[in-house]
Amino acid sequence: MTTFREQLKPRFAALGAVVLVALGALSVRLWTMQVLAGESYAALARENRIREISLDAPRGRILDRNGKLLVTNRPSLAVALDPADERIRSLIVRAQSATKSDDPTRAEVRETLGPLASMLGMDVQQVFDKIVDARVEALRPRIIAVDVPVDVVAQLSEQSQRFPGVRVEQIAVREYPFGSVGAHVLGYTGEISEEQLKRSDPTAGYELGDVVGKAGVEAQYEGVLQGDKGRRLIEVNASGKPIRIVNEEAPVAGRDIRLTIDIEIQRVAEEQLAYAISEARRQGFKKAKAGAAVVLDVKTGEVLAMASAPSYDPAVFLGGISQAEWKALTDKESEYPLNNRAVMGAYPPASTFKVVTGLAGLEAGITYSGKRYTCPGKWTEMGEQWPKWCWKKTGHGAISFDGGIEESCDTVFYEIGYEFYKRKREELQSFARSFGLGSKLGVDLPGELKGRVPDAAWKKEYNRDYPEWQTWLPGDTVNLAIGQGDMLVTPLQMAAVYAGLANGGTVMRPHVLKHVLDGTGAVARSFQPEPVARVPVSAEHLAVMRRALLRVTQSGTAAAAFRGFGVPVAGKTGTAQVAGKDDFAWFCAFAPADAPKYAVAVVVEQGGHGGSVAAPAARNIIAKLLGQPIVEVHARDESR
Amino acid sequence: MTWRAPLRSGRRPLDKSPKERFFDLVNLPLLAFASLLVVYGSVVVWSATSGMAGGDGLFKRHLVGIAVGLVPLGVAWMIDYKGLKHWSGPLMTLLAFLLVSPRIPGLGTTAKGATSWLQVAGVRLFQPSEPGKLIFIVVMAALISEYEGRIDRPRDMWRVLAYLAAALGLILLQPDLGTGMVFVGITAAMLLLGGLEGKRFAVIGLLAIVAVVGVFAVDGTLDRIAGKDVALKQYQKDRLLVFLDPERDPSGAGYNLQQSKIAVGSGGITGKGLRSGTQSNLHFLPERHTDFIFAVLAEELGFAGAMALLALYAGLLLTALSIAASSRDLYGALIAAGIIGMWAFQVLENVGMTVGMMPITGIPLPFVSFGSSAMVTNLGAVGLLQSVWSRRYGT
Repeated sequence: MTTFREQLKPRFAALGAVVLVALGALSVRLWTMQVLAGESYAALARENRIREISLDAPRGRILDRNGKLLVTNRPSLAVALDPADERIRSLIVRAQSATKSDDPTRAEVRETLGPLASMLGMDVQQVFDKIVDARVEALRPRIIAVDVPVDVVAQLSEQSQRFPGVRVEQIAVREYPFGSVGAHVLGYTGEISEEQLKRSDPTAGYELGDVVGKAGVEAQYEGVLQGDKGRRLIEVNASGKPIRIVNEEAPVAGRDIRLTIDIEIQRVAEEQLAYAISEARRQGFKKAKAGAAVVLDVKTGEVLAMASAPSYDPAVFLGGISQAEWKALTDKESEYPLNNRAVMGAYPPASTFKVVTGLAGLEAGITYSGKRYTCPGKWTEMGEQWPKWCWKKTGHGAISFDGGIEESCDTVFYEIGYEFYKRKREELQSFARSFGLGSKLGVDLPGELKGRVPDAAWKKEYNRDYPEWQTWLPGDTVNLAIGQGDMLVTPLQMAAVYAGLANGGTVMRPHVLKHVLDGTGAVARSFQPEPVARVPVSAEHLAVMRRALLRVTQSGTAAAAFRGFGVPVAGKTGTAQVAGKDDFAWFCAFAPADAPKYAVAVVVEQGGHGGSVAAPAARNIIAKLLGQPIVEVHARDESR
Repeated sequence: MTWRAPLRSGRRPLDKSPKERFFDLVNLPLLAFASLLVVYGSVVVWSATSGMAGGDGLFKRHLVGIAVGLVPLGVAWMIDYKGLKHWSGPLMTLLAFLLVSPRIPGLGTTAKGATSWLQVAGVRLFQPSEPGKLIFIVVMAALISEYEGRIDRPRDMWRVLAYLAAALGLILLQPDLGTGMVFVGITAAMLLLGGLEGKRFAVIGLLAIVAVVGVFAVDGTLDRIAGKDVALKQYQKDRLLVFLDPERDPSGAGYNLQQSKIAVGSGGITGKGLRSGTQSNLHFLPERHTDFIFAVLAEELGFAGAMALLALYAGLLLTALSIAASSRDLYGALIAAGIIGMWAFQVLENVGMTVGMMPITGIPLPFVSFGSSAMVTNLGAVGLLQSVWSRRYGT
């Protein structure tokens, strides 16, 4: 027996060694996995079981300058499909999986979603598309419909077994107590687009499906209004079924903001603009459909009202706009109601620009108050072959510089413009630019245009493919002098020019934000008024211009519109010629003329004459601003 | 009583104190390691099943399995293992019957692609391949012991391999590749002790590798010729491919391995605590109370818990080795070696597969995995070892 044991000893040793090596190898492996790489496996385990759902923060509200709520949130009953339900999750997972063969069949989709779709009056495919949208977080319930009637909700919850995964949620949607009033300033909201998401600041944490501002103040102050999303961490099991809430961070509501808009002035401005359009049509300008009106505080640049016609109802965007509605709002026939023409419309300023030319002439010493001109109706200073006509073809005869403003005599400004041309220094253009024309004013609204102050360099560049059109001609400056030719301004810029005149030559930056409020409604931050442009003009020359503009409303081209008005108003009519279109009616003013507080600009596209269409609207807007009675005005004006 | 014999084996039982006589019969370390493993395993099975539907019932079944296992432990201990040597013929018949029985209509049942259960009148009894392992060990021990510790002649080697091949063939009918691998492990351990030369081992290993690669290579062709899945099943090929490339198909064939590794790794040093394993309780881990029980243990009790388990296995296996070394004859030593081979291979394979060291197969972790057939078999193996131990003296 002993020999047998001796013989086997090395073999026992070998067997023991094999056993120990195996156990040792396992130990080493466990050491590397659990001790060395434990952290990274723990992260994988966490990734396995934790899903994050973001909780939307209530969006900040928008108030007018007097604290009236312009945009608020209201609860709405929304129907959502929750992927926590087995059948819904299965549809989503299979539809999103790479293998085509696993796609749910139409019959399956109809079986699961059909009853809900018919309940909501929707197409099954529509509902299916909404739940399989890969851009939504996996566990986020998919909103199928908002503003679902209470009786439908009741039926859905009574027969819940017929509607797998249906959840009725109360969500907050935007509400507009004043309807469409102020729509262009306020803007609207909608789901963030993929481009917006790409452009957005990654730290802001936007995700697809989020509701963001799309236009106006909603877009401009998105960062203030949006608030901070909350997070909910949910533990799920291997099949993705939520087990419990691990952690929750409550969302932080967005800040409320107070605008400079006075909703009552805004309402009047919109009504008067609409009235001006209908008045233009009554006067035979049948193509009149659109226009804009702007009211500025001359000392601060605050925008008290900003109207654009045609308008739209921001409520149509709630819960996703339908294709048909979107088409109606963006169709060529629609006159583009979504555009805020006060900042996105660029028009020739026509005679309203004569204040700029006039002041430039005074400053340059080309003209002076009381300087005598002769208007023969047909002006041929540039040569018989280049005649220019005053709007009054019979001529104004002997007329002073001041009378030229009052009567809007073109000849006076042809003369001034021609003088500027001869001096070859483009002084008129630089003077115009000193008002902020030709560049953005930097108003806190999206989409502002900069307009155009044409000069020789611009013309050369603009016609770079047409060498014969590149030379700056005398007629270009002469046309510019009466606000025609290639000159373009936005209604806001024109209001700012008159506000600058009223404010001693300092143009304040127009803005619509007054305050950002904190959670308690107290002012957290205010917009600080700041000058955006300073016009190099003497008080003396300003006084000359102010007197002339006052006479416009007393005895000049706008006298009919302002007959019997209790407060002196300094204003100027304009009738812009646009190739292929009816004339655009302009009126710009500031009031009271002796102690200016407000500047107003009104334009009606293809509305005819400034004195008969735009001036009456401006009159009533000013009446509202200054507590004067609003009256129906019918005025006649043939001037340009 | 200062007298001490120079050799313990020279003393007769009557000369010994009751305490010494007790230790002649009872190998306390063996029983201690086995009991600790059973207790440890029960705790982990309890933890793994506590979050499952019907988990209480499963845990009770586990305890019943332990109780039932005490019977073969006692029986195997009582009988003189030497007597088994003469029963090779009937035992081989029994083994063949056991391995084939699941395929006999009316007796077998299929679960998870393998026909490996014995079922009578709709009642699942046990997996016959589990006790089959012990019978195989006993039969092979009788065979190999005939060569008296030297397997020099090739035909002796081939004879042993032929026995193995016959058993393997029957197992692969089920098919249960994992259990087949255990038989290979058992045979390897017994051949090592039985006197097969090292270079022959190398040759056999080489042949095995060639065979596996060969089967892999011709399997596709065979399937196409036969028009159905013969030889290797698709899932078996997938498992092997996943083993070779763990990043492969993590949501499909590689899912189990991936989730198991996450469970083990995320346990860290001290683990997440009993019943607090997220991987197991949230169902990321498959087969958590049976094949992947080690992943549950490693997740919930961490590296410390895993080391404790491996230490218990080391103790058990070395104790079994000491029993083999103490055996009065080669036959007993070979039985012990077979049992060592069985346990060692199962531990290596089961733990190894949860950490990606071995391909995934359905082999239970001895004493720990839920499953009565295995528990009864392992306790029976403890009884066999005791039988060898308690009869190490005498004729």
